[in-house]
This record gives sequence, structure tokens and C-alpha cells, in this order.
Amino acid sequence: MSKVSLFIPCLVDTFVPSIGLATYTILNRLGIETVYREEQTCCGQPALNAGYRHHATEAARRFISIFGDDEVIISPAGSCVYMVKRHYPDLLREDPHWYPRAIDLATRIYELSQYLVDVLGVTDVGARYEGKITYHESCHILRGLGISQQPKKLLSAISGAEVVPLFAAEMCCGFGGEFAERYHYISEEMVKDKVNNFVASGADVLVTCEPGCYLNIKGYLHRQKIEKAVVHLAHLLAGPEFLRGENEN
Amino acid sequence: MKIRTEEFNTIAKKEITNAYARAFLGLLPPIIAMRRVQVMGSFPDPDGAMALSRAIRGESVARLPDLLEAFEQNATQNGAKVLWARDAKEAKDIILSLIQERQATFVTKGKSMVTEEIGLNEALAQAQIKPIETDLGEFIAQQLNRPPFHIVGPAINVPVEEIRDLFLNQGIMKEDTTDPVQLGYAARLFLRDKFHHIKVGLTGVNMAVAETGTIINVENEGNIRFNKSSPQTQISIMTPEKVVPTMEDAMHLARLLCRSCTGQKISAYVTMDTGPKKADEIDGPEELFIVIVDNGRSKIYEDPQTREVLRCIRCGACLNTCPVYTKIGGYPYGWAYSGPMGQILNPLLLGLARTQDLYRACSLCGTCKTICPAGIDHPALFLYYRALDVKGDEKFRGMKRPWQERMMFYLWSRAVASKNLWQLSLKLGRRLMKRKAMNGWLSDGGKLLPGWFKERDFPTISDQTFREKWQALKGGTYGRP
Repeated sequence: MSKVSLFIPCLVDTFVPSIGLATYTILNRLGIETVYREEQTCCGQPALNAGYRHHATEAARRFISIFGDDEVIISPAGSCVYMVKRHYPDLLREDPHWYPRAIDLATRIYELSQYLVDVLGVTDVGARYEGKITYHESCHILRGLGISQQPKKLLSAISGAEVVPLFAAEMCCGFGGEFAERYHYISEEMVKDKVNNFVASGADVLVTCEPGCYLNIKGYLHRQKIEKAVVHLAHLLAGPEFLRGENEN
Repeated sequence: MKIRTEEFNTIAKKEITNAYARAFLGLLPPIIAMRRVQVMGSFPDPDGAMALSRAIRGESVARLPDLLEAFEQNATQNGAKVLWARDAKEAKDIILSLIQERQATFVTKGKSMVTEEIGLNEALAQAQIKPIETDLGEFIAQQLNRPPFHIVGPAINVPVEEIRDLFLNQGIMKEDTTDPVQLGYAARLFLRDKFHHIKVGLTGVNMAVAETGTIINVENEGNIRFNKSSPQTQISIMTPEKVVPTMEDAMHLARLLCRSCTGQKISAYVTMDTGPKKADEIDGPEELFIVIVDNGRSKIYEDPQTREVLRCIRCGACLNTCPVYTKIGGYPYGWAYSGPMGQILNPLLLGLARTQDLYRACSLCGTCKTICPAGIDHPALFLYYRALDVKGDEKFRGMKRPWQERMMFYLWSRAVASKNLWQLSLKLGRRLMKRKAMNGWLSDGGKLLPGWFKERDFPTISDQTFREKWQALKGGTYGRP
């Protein structure tokens, strides 16, 4: 089997590298060889969201030249996959050289849970967790990529775990990049709702497939001194050593 | 109506602490959303029904110029008079002179968002013509002199005690009661009396059918029907995008409109006017005027991307599902249209410069897009407006961003373009963050990020980034093949 290429977005690379390592560990355990293109930096989403399309387009071209030849690209970050799949073709629509390459690349990039369940047909990766877990449906994963059943199947297959429902699971946690800074007073209410629903669910951990949501919810829990854990799906699937660390150092 | 879009943050910060509004927003939108889901289930194929309504709106907008011509022709044939107004001023002049020619001293109004947009009530009042809103919500909002809180329920946030006091003060009701049925009955008697004496009734339009020249109104109170059947003269005001190709299309849209709006299969009243009263009919106005107000729509139509905005059927489903609207309510949006539909429409009508917060106060969660029966991709439009604003677009009056922000994104783009520069920036950032951090967490963003850190922490850059961990893991042998 050919190697799969890891797309480790900047938030993961910089602030939560354990998500990247966990992704690698899961794939490794399934016998899948991975490569990591060291040239990769950021997919350009912050520039697109702020209206700097020309900068986002530069990032898109760069991304395509780095990953363009890889057969399969996997990322543990749904919104970055959505950026590549949905927005790259949009940004490069007028460009006869880059547009076909963007369209082509869009068919070869997968969010982690999507790759495991839809492509490999794996739901049980041999993970164990004793406790109750609940799942937050991140916006770009659910409504952008249409992924919802895949992570839930993976969670249900974790031995020892009980998956409990989360009220308003599909409601935004309030991250949204610069939205959380500029309109923090609205964003705070949104993350507060999310955390309240998490606490009310009775779950021990809240699982997400999105590093942005992870940092938002975790940052709120830490400041408010709420003794609850939020983890990335990869953390939970990769094994207990990925669940311990309070920070990444 | 005073336009207050520039005051978004001030009003939103106030409204977000309004306990009554918050309790209400936490309760009603989820109930409507639930009812919507239930009632959508009465379609044999809900997804198919949704796809069809989206296609109808897409077709309507694509064929807009032709459909409008066909509509005018058919409506005129039916005996209606179609009048075109380029902008708000022309529209108000036309409507005023129609009313003045008929020597009416007051007019009754059915709920109409476009009359809010053009500021018709103010113009009428200035000309000594009393406009009486007959939709209960609009009536209350008008008496309280407040902008609409929700496009469907303009005064739905007003506590019942406040309505009681208002009705007592205005002599609308004599008995001191907070019983909603009694309050409704009092308003009904008050308004019924007005209907008995009207010369001119004003309404909006939900749909205009091109093939038949029919205008359709969808409502639950019956007041629009009164506005249309009691007066000698009916003036119905619409924007061009209300037109749909066929009656069958209109009926399907009505199904989706009612389901998306109030979670009903169909509203209590659906009225259709195909021309004024005919010789052999006992009901209806002697004359029917249809005023089509462009007010910026042609400009919106020119650009295939902004054209998408014209799909909107004003159902309000996007408001009920929006995590921002359901925290701050309708006032911060500062004009007739609020929530996601207002966020896509107001910037085009008022210009990008004075509506900055409307297309930025959004986490791009996309729930509006998902629920929209008209097939609008709101987040894509917000991104488009932001880009027009950064460019300083002339047509929609973008203003270019502050130089500091442009510089920041320029520097960011240089770092993204080079692995070495990227890593160097991370190393510098790590050193700076370490100085301020406690146990790997930052609690203060200084001047750079004051907002985030009000209620949240953020981890510092890891001692080893993923790239560094990978290099350690693989001995640096992996890279480009």
C-alpha cells in the first residue's frame, strides 16, 4: 500500500502537536506508512476569513505544489480539509493552470475519521477508555464536510467507553478564528453554552475532531477551573499516553 | 427608521445582558426549530422538497428581468396598475401621491419589511397621514417606537406587562389584565374599527406570480386580508425579487415558507389578488396598485455573487438557528433586517463601510446555509463582502482595512511562504510567550488579543512543534521524496 501524506495544520503543529503524533500513531498501528512534507505551513484559512483572498490564494498554490502529487492526504483538522476541498477551487477558479490541480487535490484529501471509516472501513482501532464520552459536532466537519457518523462509529467501538448524547451537539462552540477575538462577548456565551451542555451530559470527556474547537473549549475550561477534559478524537483512539498531558510540553 | 448598523457592538453588549430577552431567545427559537423539523416530516421527501424550493428560487433570480416583465403584463391585464420606483424616495413619492389623491387622512398597513426599509411610516407621518400598523407585533413595535426584534415577530420579545401598560395608556384597553387573549381581543377591536373606515390599505407581498399576475400574502392574523378587502384602494409594495415563475412554484414556496417561518404546514390565511374587484364580485378593492421598489436590487443583480442574496424569501429560519442572533436578538443589527438574512442584505443596501460588524460578527458555522429553503450560502457571502471591503470596493463602498491589519497579514503571508521564516517566527513567538506563561498557559493577551483572554486561556507554543517531534522521530530523513 502506498504511503499517506500527513497534513498537520498550523494550530496542531504549533500548539497541540500531540494531535499530530496521535494521528501518526493510529495510522502506524494500522500498518499504514506515513510521510510528512516538512515544507508545509498554513493552509491560508485565516487570510480567507479576514478577506485577504490574495494571500489565501498564494497559500493555496503553495499547498498544492507541496501536496499535489500525494495520492492520499490526511488531516486531523476538519476545517483545514474543508478549506482545501471547498475553498481552494473557489480561490483558483480563474486560473487555468491551478484550477484543475485544485479540483484534483480536493478528491484526495480526507479528514482523519472519514479516512478511517469510509476509506479503510475500520471502526475499531483497538482503543480502550473507561468512562463516558460525548461528541461535539464541529461546524466545518458536520455542515462543511458532512461528517458525523464516522467519528461516532469510531467512538462506539472504543472498548469500555459509553457514548452519551450531548444536547445541541451541532451548535457552534464560538471559535471562528478572529470572531472569538473581535466579538469575544458573543463567543464567550457560545462556549459557555457548549461547556454547560457538556457538564449536563454527564460525560467525562468531550471529543472533537477540530483543533480550533479543542483550543477554544479547553482554554475556557482552564480559565474557569472546570475539572472536565476535552480531547481530540485522535487522542482517544491513539491510547492512554495521549490523554494524560495537561499541556503539550 | 434610524439606521444604527454602526452601533452593533454597543447595542449587542447591552442586549446580551438583557435577561428577559435572553430567556426568551433561549426558549422560542428552539421550539420553532423543533416544530419546523416535525412539519418538514409531513413531506414524503423533505430533502427533495427543500431542493425544489431552492431550485425555484435559483430559477426565479436567474430569470428575474423576464419574469418581472411577464408579471407586469399579466397583472396589468387583470386590471392592476404596476408602478416602478427606482429608489426609496421615488417609492415614497408615488405612494404618498396615491394616498393624497384619494384624500385619506390615515392608512392601515399589513406587515411589510420593504416599507420599513424605505422609511414609509416616517414619510407618511410628515405628510399628516397616519399610518396604522395592523399586524399585532408591528402595532406594538410602532406604539413603542422600536425597530423590529425579529423579521417575523417584530415585538415578540416585549413582556406582556409592558404591552398591558401600553394598551392602558393609549386607551386601547380599559381593563387591567395581562391575559394574552384579552390583550389580543382589545387590539382586534381597536383595529377593526379602523378597517371600517379606511380608504386606502397598504400591504407587502410575499410572492408575485409571473404567469398569472397574482400577488400572494401569507399571514396568521387576518389583518392583511382586511387591508386588502376593506378599502377602496389597495397599494401593495414589493421588491423585484418577490416574483416567481408559476403558480405551482408559488404554492411550493408557500409550503416551505410556512414550515421554515413558524413551523406550520400552511399559515392561517393565504390571500391572492389577481387584479382588483371585478364587476361581478362582491369583495375587494376597486383599484389595485402594485409598487415595485428597486432600491438597490439592480445593483445587487449585476454581480452574480451578490445576486444570490435575492433568493431570500424572508422566512426568518436563519434567525432562529443562528448562534449569534439567539444571543443578541434583533436590535444590534440596527435596521429592518436582522440575523443572517440581514447580515447579507444590509451591507449591500447600506454599503460595506457602515455595516462592518454585520458581515464580521459570524463564526461561519453555516447553520443558516443548512436551514435556508432558498438555497443561500450566507458564509460564502460574508467571505465575499470581507474581501470586497479589504479591496476597498467602490460599488459597495468598502473601506480598506487599517494599515496595521494589512501589514500583519502581509507578514503572515511571507511566513507561510517559507518554511524557514515560519519556524523562525515560531521560535521567537515561543520565547516571548514563555516569559508570560504559567505552566504552559497564557492568561493575558496584552494589546494584541485583548478579547480572547477575557474569559479564556491559551496554551503557549509547544517546546517541540510537531515538525520538531517528527524530525526527532524519523531522524530528519523525511521530506520531499
